[in-house]
Amino acid sequence: MSMEVNKDDNMVSDMILIVDDDEINRGIIDNIFSPYYSTDEAADGLEGLSKILADPDKYCAILLDVMMPKMNGLEVLRKLSDEELTSRIPVFLITAEVNSESLHEAYHLGVMDVILKPVTPYIVLRRINSIVELFRARKRLGNRVERQNIKLLENAKKIIELNQGMIEALSTAIEFRNGESGEHVRRIRDITQYLLEHTELGEGLTAEQINNIALASVMHDVGKIAIPDNILGKPGRLTPEEFEIMKTHTVQGGLLLEKIPQLRDNGVYEYAFDIARHHHERWDGRGYPDGLKGDEISLWAQIVSIADVYDALSCKRCYKDAFPREKVLRMIRDGECGTFSPKLLKCFFEAEETLCKLYDGNA
Amino acid sequence: MEQVRLEQLESAGIDVKDALSRFMGNANLLEKFLKKFPDDQNYKKLCEALEADDAEAALAASHTLKGVCGNLSMTELSGLLTEQVREFRAGEYSSAKELMPKITAAYERTVAAING
Repeated sequence: MSMEVNKDDNMVSDMILIVDDDEINRGIIDNIFSPYYSTDEAADGLEGLSKILADPDKYCAILLDVMMPKMNGLEVLRKLSDEELTSRIPVFLITAEVNSESLHEAYHLGVMDVILKPVTPYIVLRRINSIVELFRARKRLGNRVERQNIKLLENAKKIIELNQGMIEALSTAIEFRNGESGEHVRRIRDITQYLLEHTELGEGLTAEQINNIALASVMHDVGKIAIPDNILGKPGRLTPEEFEIMKTHTVQGGLLLEKIPQLRDNGVYEYAFDIARHHHERWDGRGYPDGLKGDEISLWAQIVSIADVYDALSCKRCYKDAFPREKVLRMIRDGECGTFSPKLLKCFFEAEETLCKLYDGNA
Repeated sequence: MEQVRLEQLESAGIDVKDALSRFMGNANLLEKFLKKFPDDQNYKKLCEALEADDAEAALAASHTLKGVCGNLSMTELSGLLTEQVREFRAGEYSSAKELMPKITAAYERTVAAING
């Protein structure tokens, strides 16, 4: 903590720039401030302005005489105001006389205070100290808030990554039960995301929605945790009774997701529930569990459905070997493994050239 | 500061007590800045500007000199210069110029006192 405070302080300058064309005036002011600040001097407005513009953060305050050759104090002030520097560095006018018109303009341009010559050291020091301290405190606070914001964002990102990790871990654990490696859920996520990002299927969806759908797709089979081992791991064809039990993984998945309160508050939930329950519906209405037909089935459930079929056909499963790519594509096209919307099929075959690379290791 | 020196400066129209307060009571520092005064170019600039009838340059020099005198508590001189600046600002160039003999006298007395 103490190091952080030092870091803040290091970012705050302690140098005062004295801009006055008279050496004696500069010397007097220098003498007042040098015990507390480092000082720099400029002998006219132009020199002062170029020193400031060269490195504005070098100075914690600028003391500006008004009547000076080359460029007077008000002109310097106007330039500083144009550059929006008067809100970053406190500027003080130190002048032998003031008229109300130039005073008005000076304050309008953002001058912090106007101090009359001849200066009274105690007063000038007090007035300038308090404003410099105010600017320093404001800057320190700004730096700290900024760093805290960065930290909060980093933490939020970590939490999101952890959430995704937990969701993948849960889904993968369930995969393990039917002897799959966990690569299946990751490929379903990749295929879903690819179809949404690279085909017309994703039109009208925001990047956040697409990410949520992709994450939700990971959870499509969580209901399988409720399916007994002897059915889930059966090497051959299921009996009609066994198949009825197997089919309940869709409804069970929805029920399970419903019971995670943290998930229900998350943007992923609606998609996850829908996908878990409906990824075995069919375009022709002959799927399960609800027999939804056509566009009654959500886009994301349709996409996960075709991704699931494609992946199952392309890989070895406990009940089948991996099929060659040509056979997989023919079976999908001929509707041997479900029916899909024409638009979905069109987009899928478009994307498949790329998607097949996911299976290079299996080929 | 020695009494003699103090009286010498006071007699030339310098409010030493006021000036010392501006230098945090540091008499050596006040002396150091007083010693710079004879080398300050603004009096010379003022005379030259009036010679050339350059009202603007005269005002600038008079104004700056007034600031210096104020800071060094040269009450008499700074009073005269304040008056002159006011005349310049009011466009009363000749009235301003007419103040020069008084200003010169006060200036020379001040410089003489400083140089001891």
